[in-house]
Order: sequence, then C-alpha cells, then structure tokens
Amino acid sequence: MPKRKLDPLPSAAFQILLSLADEQLHGYAIMRQVEEQTNGRMRLGPGTLYSSIQGLLEEGLIEEVEQKAETEDERRRFYRLTSAGRKLARVEAERLADLLRVARAKNILRGDYV
Amino acid sequence: MSERTLAWLFRLYPAAFRQKYEQDTLQLYRDRMRDERGLLRRLRLTCDLVVDAATGLRLAWRNSYAETSVGTLAGDAIGLPGFHLLQREPLGAGAVVAGCLFSISALVGFGLVMRIPAPVCAARASATLSPIEAVVERLNRVVATPGDGDREARAAVEGGDAQAQTTASAAAHAEKSGEPPLDAQEKGQVVQGVADHLTAHYFDRQKALAAMERLRELEKQGAYAGIVDGRMLAERLTADLRSATGDPHLSVAYSRNSIPNTMPGRPTASALIQYRTVLLEQNCAVEKVERLPGNIGYLKLNSFPDMEVCGPTLRKALAQIGGANGVIFDLRDNTGGFPETVADVAAPLFERPVAWYNPKQTQSATTLTPAPGSKLANKPVYILTSSRTFSGAEQFTYNLKMLKRATVIGETTGGGGHVGVFHRVDEHFGVGIPETKISNPYGMPDWDGVGVEPDVKVKAANALGEAEKLAAKVVGR
Repeated sequence: MPKRKLDPLPSAAFQILLSLADEQLHGYAIMRQVEEQTNGRMRLGPGTLYSSIQGLLEEGLIEEVEQKAETEDERRRFYRLTSAGRKLARVEAERLADLLRVARAKNILRGDYV
Repeated sequence: MSERTLAWLFRLYPAAFRQKYEQDTLQLYRDRMRDERGLLRRLRLTCDLVVDAATGLRLAWRNSYAETSVGTLAGDAIGLPGFHLLQREPLGAGAVVAGCLFSISALVGFGLVMRIPAPVCAARASATLSPIEAVVERLNRVVATPGDGDREARAAVEGGDAQAQTTASAAAHAEKSGEPPLDAQEKGQVVQGVADHLTAHYFDRQKALAAMERLRELEKQGAYAGIVDGRMLAERLTADLRSATGDPHLSVAYSRNSIPNTMPGRPTASALIQYRTVLLEQNCAVEKVERLPGNIGYLKLNSFPDMEVCGPTLRKALAQIGGANGVIFDLRDNTGGFPETVADVAAPLFERPVAWYNPKQTQSATTLTPAPGSKLANKPVYILTSSRTFSGAEQFTYNLKMLKRATVIGETTGGGGHVGVFHRVDEHFGVGIPETKISNPYGMPDWDGVGVEPDVKVKAANALGEAEKLAAKVVGR
C-alpha cells in the first residue's frame, strides 16, 4: 500500500522524529523532549503520543529498541529513528526551510529572526 | 482526573491500541502526576488529557496495528545491514474481493460436483450404509420400486446393479452387524452359494456350469484367501463371474447389514396401503401437465409408477396432452419404475406395433401395442433428460431414440445397469442373475453403465427452453 498516512506529515509526528534525532527515548521522555524543543507549546498527551508513535512504527520511520530490563522502570519501550525516518525528517525540515525563505523574501518575518 | 477516568476515556480507542499502549499510557500519566504538582499544573494536566483523548482518537483509529519490526542493536541507523521483517499489512480491498470470489466459485464448484450422481459409486457406498441411511433407503424404496408378489421380485431388479445392491442393504435390518473379518469357511459358503444360484437360475446352463467350475478352481488356487472384507469379496466374485461368462449383467452384492430371508416375499398389507397413499399423494409422480404456447403438450413425469394404482391418473394426464401438436416429456427427474408403465406411456405415440426393447422382459422379443385412436401418433416428441434420468426413464428414452420417434434434449442419462433377479446367498451376500437372455432389437449396446446420449446436448436446466424452440420451428411450419 502506498504510504499516504503521514503525507503531509502531522506536526506531532515531525516533532517526535526530531526528538529522536539524537538519542533513543521512551514515551514520556519523548513527550518531555517535544515540550522542550517547542518551548512548552506542545505537550503530547498519551493518546496523541502513542497513536503517532504507532503510525510512525507502521510506516517504518521509527522502530522499537529491544531493551534488557536494566532500568528501574519495569519495561519501558524505547524508540529510535530509522534511516527512512531520518530522511523524512530532513526532507520535512528542508521544506520548512524553503517556506521560511519565502516568508523572509516576502518580509513577513521580523528582522530579529535569522 | 483520576487514573480510572483516563482508563474509561481510553475505552473509545481501538482494542489493538489499548492492548499495546494501555500500560504506557498509564505510565505516562503517573510520570506527569509525579512531575507536575500544584493546582495550576494539575488543572493543565487534566485539560491536556481531555483534549488529547479527543484529538488522539482520530489518529489512533487510522493506524492498522499490523505487526511492526523490532529493531536490533545492529540496526541500519548505524549504517550496518540489518534484518527487516516483512510486515503484515491489514487486508486490502483487492484481497478481500479476490477471497470472496474464490470462496463463491469454490462453493459453486462443490455444488456442481455434488449434483453429478455416480451410480457406480452409489452402488458401492450402499454396501456400507449406516443404519440411518439403510432406513432412509428402505423408505425411499417403498416409493420408487414397490409392488406386490412377483412384482416385488422384479422391482428388486429395477435399475440394475445400483438398486439390486441398494435393495439388498435397504431391505436389511437397521441394526449394525459390524464388520467381522471373513473366515475361510464363510467365503467357501458364499462361493458355493453363488455357484448354486447361478446353475439354478442362469438362462445359459452351459455357461453357468463353466463359471461354477472356474469359481471353484480359483478358490482352490487360493485366489480369495487374502480377502477379509465382504465388499471386496463381492467385487472380486462379480469380476470373476463376468469374465467366466462374458455377461456384464451378473453381479454379486455385499450388504453390511443382514439381508432378511423373506426379502422376495409379499409385502404386508399395511406397506401396500402406505405405498398407494404416498403415490396418490404425489399425484403418481406427475409433477406437471400443461399446454405450452403453440399447443405443445408438456408432461413432467418423475417416475413410471405401478399402473394398478396410478393407471387413472396417468391416463388422465396423457389425455390432457392428447390433442396437442407436439409433446415434451420432461424426464429430467425421472428415476425409473415399472417397465409396463414405460410401455403404457409410450403406446399413444405409435399407430402400428413396433419392436420394443425391454431388458427385464421374460420372453425373447417384445412388441409395443399402440393405444387405439391416439392423435399423438405422428406428432413430434421431445424428451428432456438429465444426468439424473435413470433406469425405466432411460428405457423410455432409449427406445424412442432408437425408433427415431423422439428428439432427446439435455444431458447424457445416468446409465443404470440391469442385472437379473436378486437371490439371497447368506446373511450378507446376494447375487443378481439374468434369468432370460436379453435380446436387443437394435443390435447395439444399450444404456447399461453409459447412459443414453441426447440428440441435442444442452444443460438439463436449459433443456425445456431448447425443446420449446425446436417444437416451435417444427409445429409452426
């Protein structure tokens, strides 16, 4: 089946991909990371978070990492980017950068932005 | 908001989602409860959760929850080759449609296969009837081949092999006798009994004696020593009898249930009354008699029943189509009956006597005497056949076809064989022996085992339409 579910990429999914760019995280850590990288504007609740995670898993953009039960938490599921997920995040970021370029050209942005 | 409320809200989510993420969800809730304290934060948390439960719903229902791969530590993120599992996707519309089509065609195919009767197989199967089947067979037989006194004996022969065996087992006791292995003594008795009946009843005594010698010889050579199964012994004896005499109408039958001694005897008065009642209730197998457009008479006859009971009904039906410009006999569901009735139904179609082939005849040649004053004698006749058309119905069809008196439309008929009179050998074995030499006036093999070929081959279901078309052409001229 063609991959149409995440096209266009919802912002929650994009934020999750970005949050996993550096390291593998579990659900709550992803939520905190997203909150941090959006300056507290996006706090993912469990429904949105895990639905998005499931969608990304199904599209092969992230994957679950098998963890030995080493942490104090019983068994948290950790996730990390796949190469496809990394590529998609890059494409999406480039698309936003293009948008940003256009916005800047149209003088929509205030001067103090990049 | 309590954990319980959250759990309740999550009931709106797909079962697959809940199964996979319920623990994670509660964990996330507990983590946030732990980290976010104070009235304002708690209020914000509650607000978040309610909004989230609503917005996440759409996303959650859009996922397929197919199996996803679990990455290994040597995954491709590091640039090393890794294993990828083929993912199980939810069924696509195409697969569902293909599955439906395949199921339907399989069902239709199965239905078609079940509609093809296999007389030979049926004969074999009847040798191992279950008690219930035996009772059903016996009940059916009362309707299909009934009679009194010596008629009963002939009725046992109707339809040949299949029915001779069916009769043997159907008339048998319903109680199960099990299948004890045959011992040498019983086998000897069976061979002796078959030989005795053969020499006593077969019309060609020379051949009977030769066949008896052959059977004894084979027995001495130990040809039957390895056989422990009754059905196999019957099959083997049948083959040996046929090869010894060259007569394909000889047959040895085995019945798992015991064959009562009184088999050829007179049926009880109550059985006769019951038989008559059933026949009359069924309008003597006359399913339909009507005039089709173009004044074509149509008679659907599902059996050739005893004229003694059904004479008036059948004569009335024939009279109803008497003045027609053409006649269609629908024998697609006709499984046979009395040879006398077959002749009586055919009689109005002729104006002068004709040679009439009847493998059950007692004298060497039979002539069909026409019915006086019939207006049908030179009208076109069409016979509709199916693969279920059997025995007496085949005799009717065969004769009219050979006499070029009728156009046969439909399928090749069932090919009912005809053995002779059934004789009981012992509790489980019987032998069918022709007591007169059958002479075929047409000088060629009849329908035994092969059926009657139609002149116009169409599916049984389309036969009536085809006959009407042909009749319209002929009559319309």
